[in-house]
Amino acid sequence: MFKQLTSGLLLGLFLASPVFSGTAADDIQVMDPWAREVPPGLTTSAGFLTLHNKGSKEHKLVAAESPATGTVELHTHINDNGVMRMRPVKDIPVAAGGKTELKPGGYHLMLMMLKKPLKSGEKMPITLQFEDGSKKEIQAEVRHFSMEKGMKHMKMDH
Amino acid sequence: MKPLSWFLLALFLMAADAQAWSLFSGSDKEERFPGMGGDFTLRSADGPVSLKDFRGKLVLLYFGYTSCPDVCPTSLGALSSALKKLPDKDMAQIQPLFISVDPDRDDVNKLKDYARYFHPRMIGATADLPYLEDLAKRYGAFFRKVPVEDSNIGYAVDHSSTIYVVNRDGKLVDMIQHGGSPRRILEHIRKALQED
Repeated sequence: MFKQLTSGLLLGLFLASPVFSGTAADDIQVMDPWAREVPPGLTTSAGFLTLHNKGSKEHKLVAAESPATGTVELHTHINDNGVMRMRPVKDIPVAAGGKTELKPGGYHLMLMMLKKPLKSGEKMPITLQFEDGSKKEIQAEVRHFSMEKGMKHMKMDH
Repeated sequence: MKPLSWFLLALFLMAADAQAWSLFSGSDKEERFPGMGGDFTLRSADGPVSLKDFRGKLVLLYFGYTSCPDVCPTSLGALSSALKKLPDKDMAQIQPLFISVDPDRDDVNKLKDYARYFHPRMIGATADLPYLEDLAKRYGAFFRKVPVEDSNIGYAVDHSSTIYVVNRDGKLVDMIQHGGSPRRILEHIRKALQED
């Protein structure tokens, strides 16, 4: 009996260990990451993507970095009655089972101090960091403004 | 009364009537923004740029700044996509103009490259801050430098994001709000091209 108890206890501990609970990086699926091509000479651009949280608890994107830039910050836009205000944010939350979009006019990765101009067609590596310290590396596709999704779906525009 | 008098009276009444009608008719398209708009002179890489230089053309104005990572490229990109759909003869009547409200960081050469990136005919220009503040007010545009903590950007420039349409006589006739798709922008441009 003692043996069973011990095994049971050990098994229980094992199952409860972090090895089996998903990290934020495990739970979050990143969809359609892209960055905007900018005119040569500019060192700031924006990165966009959709975060889909397949886990059972809320996760937060807290930081990002890329070898292609000096720094990446998390920003959002507040549309204050027609006045666009861009502000840094501490984190970007994604609800359990939900999605959060980083898109033009809203949340975005501010890519600052670009080491060289982003050119359409290239891929930019970005490492996303979440609240539990887990990280995920993605490849953002660099797109010229004429390739933005909003432009293609003109039939749906008002 | 003599027939001539009747005739003259009728003529007079018709003239008065026409005058009265013109006051009430829909010729208000040029007065949509009474007291707003007006001439200005800015600096660019190719010398001074004045609104009156473009009399006879439609001028499309946008206030922004080159360090703006999202809002400005989105709007200028949409404007550019709209312009590229126009036949050459229409495009020849249009002058797109990007006005930077961040002269501290945007010099005229940077502005020239920035504007050209979006459209080969777009001119980039700026002026000193007090002049820009007055100009923005006249057009109903808003911008403000805001120091931002916890960020490497130093300061953000809050601003309205609108394309201002100035007609061939130099009058402000339309405003296209931010978020306009290329198709919606095109509609506004085509309407302005058809008028007067």
